[in-house]
Amino acid sequence: MPTVVVMDVSLSMTRPVSIEGSEEYQRKHLAAHGLTMLFEHMATNYKLEFTALVVFSSLWELMVPFTRDYNTLQEALSNMDDYDKTCLESALVGVCNIVQQEWGGAIPCQVVLVTDGCLGIGRGSLRHSLATHSQRSESNRFPLPFPFPSKLYIMCMANLEELQSTDSLDCLERLIDLNNGEGQIFTIDGPLCLKNVQSMFGKLIDLAYTPFHAVLKCGHLTADVQVFPRPEPFVVDEEIDPIPKVINTDLEIVGFIDIADISSPPVLSRHLVLPIALNKEGDEVGTGITDDNEDENSANQIAGKIPNFCVLLHGSLKVEGMVAIVQLGPEWHGMLYSQADSKKKSNLMMSLFEPGPEPLPWLGKMAQLGPISDAKENPYGEDDNKSPFPLQPKNKRSYAQNVTVWIKPSGLQTDVQKILRNARKLPEKTQTFYKELNRLRKAALAFGFLDLLKGVADMLERECTLLPDTAHPDAAFQLTHAAQQLKLASTGTSEYAGYDHNITPLQTDFSGSSAERM
Amino acid sequence: MKIFSESHKTVFVVDHCPYMAESCRQHVEFDMLVKNRTQGIIPLAPISKSLWTCSVESSMEYCRIMYDIFPFKKLVNFIVSDSGAHVLNSWTQEDQNLQELMAALAAVGPPNPRADPECCSILHGLVAAVETLCKITEYQHEARTLLMENAERVGNRGRIICITNAKSDSHVRMLEDCVQETIHEHNKLAANSDHLMQIQKCELVLIHTYPVGEDSLVSDRPKKELSPVLTSEVHSVRAGRHLATKLNILVQQHFDLASTTITNIPMKEEQHANTSANYDVELLHHKDAHVDFLKSGDNHLSGSSREGSFKETITLKWCTPRTNNIELHYCTGAYRISPVDVNSRPSSCLTNFLLNDPRYKIDGSLEIPLERAKDQLEKHTRYWPMIISQTTIFNMQAVVPLASVIVKESLTEEDVLNCQKTIYNLVDMERKNDPLPISTVGTRGKGPKRDEQYRIMWNELETLVRAHINNSEKHQRVLECLMACRSKPPEEEERKKRGRKREDKEDKSEKAVKDYEQEKSWQDSERLKGILERGKEELAEAEIIKDSPDSPEPPNKKPLVETDETPPVEKSKGPVSLLSLWSNRINTANSRKHQEFAGRLNSVNNRAELYQHLKEENGMETTENGKASRQ
Repeated sequence: MPTVVVMDVSLSMTRPVSIEGSEEYQRKHLAAHGLTMLFEHMATNYKLEFTALVVFSSLWELMVPFTRDYNTLQEALSNMDDYDKTCLESALVGVCNIVQQEWGGAIPCQVVLVTDGCLGIGRGSLRHSLATHSQRSESNRFPLPFPFPSKLYIMCMANLEELQSTDSLDCLERLIDLNNGEGQIFTIDGPLCLKNVQSMFGKLIDLAYTPFHAVLKCGHLTADVQVFPRPEPFVVDEEIDPIPKVINTDLEIVGFIDIADISSPPVLSRHLVLPIALNKEGDEVGTGITDDNEDENSANQIAGKIPNFCVLLHGSLKVEGMVAIVQLGPEWHGMLYSQADSKKKSNLMMSLFEPGPEPLPWLGKMAQLGPISDAKENPYGEDDNKSPFPLQPKNKRSYAQNVTVWIKPSGLQTDVQKILRNARKLPEKTQTFYKELNRLRKAALAFGFLDLLKGVADMLERECTLLPDTAHPDAAFQLTHAAQQLKLASTGTSEYAGYDHNITPLQTDFSGSSAERM
Repeated sequence: MKIFSESHKTVFVVDHCPYMAESCRQHVEFDMLVKNRTQGIIPLAPISKSLWTCSVESSMEYCRIMYDIFPFKKLVNFIVSDSGAHVLNSWTQEDQNLQELMAALAAVGPPNPRADPECCSILHGLVAAVETLCKITEYQHEARTLLMENAERVGNRGRIICITNAKSDSHVRMLEDCVQETIHEHNKLAANSDHLMQIQKCELVLIHTYPVGEDSLVSDRPKKELSPVLTSEVHSVRAGRHLATKLNILVQQHFDLASTTITNIPMKEEQHANTSANYDVELLHHKDAHVDFLKSGDNHLSGSSREGSFKETITLKWCTPRTNNIELHYCTGAYRISPVDVNSRPSSCLTNFLLNDPRYKIDGSLEIPLERAKDQLEKHTRYWPMIISQTTIFNMQAVVPLASVIVKESLTEEDVLNCQKTIYNLVDMERKNDPLPISTVGTRGKGPKRDEQYRIMWNELETLVRAHINNSEKHQRVLECLMACRSKPPEEEERKKRGRKREDKEDKSEKAVKDYEQEKSWQDSERLKGILERGKEELAEAEIIKDSPDSPEPPNKKPLVETDETPPVEKSKGPVSLLSLWSNRINTANSRKHQEFAGRLNSVNNRAELYQHLKEENGMETTENGKASRQ
């Protein structure tokens, strides 16, 4: 999940902070200190994530476009000038543009807004923006909610009392509300000082930037992994089951299936699965924790020499063209697969399905999938030339079952013509003739459309009179018989109008001379 | 949409009173003369549907679309009303399909125009509808059972769609009052019942339908709240296709549907088989499918969809799918669809094309819980070397018959026989002194001598078999056969080794690590380089390993993997397995917890030689062998 840091550089951020010590701090120094901490954390734990830095006052500027280079971000922090007044709305519009340009509207993004809680004055101030919120047209809509999945974290360089002495806190809370409640406000606990800023950013890190570590298991094979970006809790049903579901830290592989069988299923989110190394004592070494670069390198070197199940798994999935089904929680599954990000490079990735016993209807219930060897007959055939998937639904959908719909006259006309066409090719088309006839009969009975049965009977009788001399004698017999049966059905009496009753061809025998005497 | 919103339960109440037998006065030509027919035939007179037929086919169309898009959890109860209420189906999932409803409707038949109108009323049906809404569905029951003490969180809402021919606005008012009164009464009943649920919310949709050309006696009225529980709306609609259009609009509103039109689908012409023309097909689906579209601001909204439908449709251009189905594409959503015009030729061409992927029926043979699969993975991974150069047996074609069955839960007599044959075959190979694909990686010189190679191989095979001896008594028998057959008795082996020891002592000391002490060897960066450099030749030599794939970035820079994954046993070559890493780790962990018996520590095949110190004076090393065979 990319992050945009939006830093307030209005004059109010230069207000000094009274600290008993000798050095004089301004709020912007506190902010920079907190952000440094965030960047350092991300540099260690979120190496792959992109972060951008925006500064704003009455104008906004993209100081650092999305980057993984946290040094650049860090440097930018120390090169910030002071400007005029706070104008939050235009900055948020800026964020919208930047994110949409880089990531589009589908990638979730975190926005970390750092401000002192002075919301500006006059036009462009947050109060003004909120006051005019209801009078907006589509062309100048308020930037919240963000047009992409988002979390808005507001880091206030002020404590709660200060914010509550004005309506600042209310305004900021309105902002979160406008973002559909996605986000949170952080304030400094106690006096403004480096230590308390640290603890505030610590809370942000805990909430939004803790890496997700898990153990990937396949029978006895295991690997410690980081799942990146962190899978977010998912709420299945607000009404009945409003508790957000969180995925297990034990990711157990339950089986493997062909890519063709799972066929690009819909997923909630995608994640990289990165192996992390554990050293002998069980401490983590590969990713994070160690600050010392040298230690980390040597640890990585060691890790590089230990055979890792992730490597085996990734390679196998790639070669076999399969995915691994992984259990994420009770009645919740996902898949592990190899994703090529260029011709030469590919990664082990995990996608999460929607929770539930049957996330992919064409595979049926997940719990009913089992090993091939348990099947009496190999469902893939001896030559691997077939597949048990997709499963047929118990009830076919309307488009797969030749339903009868006569809402448009053309629907009815087509069905009648089908019967007529086959009637003219009797006796060759006897089977199709009666099949179509029975289909029409069933629908007419269900719709209570008995006039149609009478009409078609009349039509068949007419056809009988129009038969050419060359026609097979059976044709006349069948037409008469069919017309008669339809007439009986059109009386609606239960004896002849049974829905499950089928008109069957008249048994005739023209093979021998006996037919001539009939 | 919430599971238990109003859309969970829909009750259709269709009027079956005598006046519904009246014609809708919209004619249908059904005797369309086909080309090249004899002149002078007068086509049969057009026929017209009754109000009843129009009502039934429109409501069936509503259900068709609903069932296509929500095959589960959206339920319909169909009631027809004349001198009494006839409830045609129940809330159970088995009753929820078009065939059931059609059969039940056929049994009811069209209304009898000669019945006494005084005895007939739509009211019977409306009362039955309220009654049926109080009945719990299997989904509600399941959710309540699951939630236990929070059972009251399961909602009971529903919708009544009533198609009738009303006499006036005040008649309509009377029907509404009746529904409200009935709900009030039944809620009282339901409060004291375990099987019934109180109705929390009911949406009444009254559709007054009348023959085309007549004036409507009833006026339209938008949705209005009659009480906290009941809302009502009135639609006055001409029969025939107008009624069908109305119900099509309603099903879209009720189930949050949206429309997408696929344009430019090439299809072969019926008449001219070798030409193709482009067609459009309009589909309905849940409107969530459009969310990302609308968000992207890239609206493909085209003004109005073709005839009838009221809504905007998003147009997508057909793109003939590539046949490659072994690629995974990123997909954020999949939605069920229903064609607006289900049996038009373009629609059926499209759906048949999509359905005609080769499909196979499943006959319950896969009806085995996932737990069995997990269990199988557990067995298959008990012994699974992850590095090619650290396994001998999985580089040998000759071992495959044994390795592929030993992981099974149970063995047949034939399996045991095959395992025994495999073992005899290995003995034979040893007797003939056949070479083994033992890795020479990390060793200087030529690597281990032939008999040493066989000892390594036998040890590894034993490890594999031992990992499964608890599966069954037959597994045990395989081990017994193995133990009886495996090379020389240990004493003899020891003696031989002793003789050899001196000449290649240096060689030995490095090799000693090799056996299964992978953890140590992996740390030996010298050796690893060797693996990396010689890995390729190795693979070629072993001639069993498939292409090594690219590895993901972090730890391992070089693929050192076995590549058979799926039920590995199915494939005839490239066997499988690891576990020594695992078992070693466990063993190491366990051994830290207690002092290992000196005897076992130094044992060979669980036999410890006594008076070893005497031999050690001769420069004997015993530990390496002991480690390997200890389980």
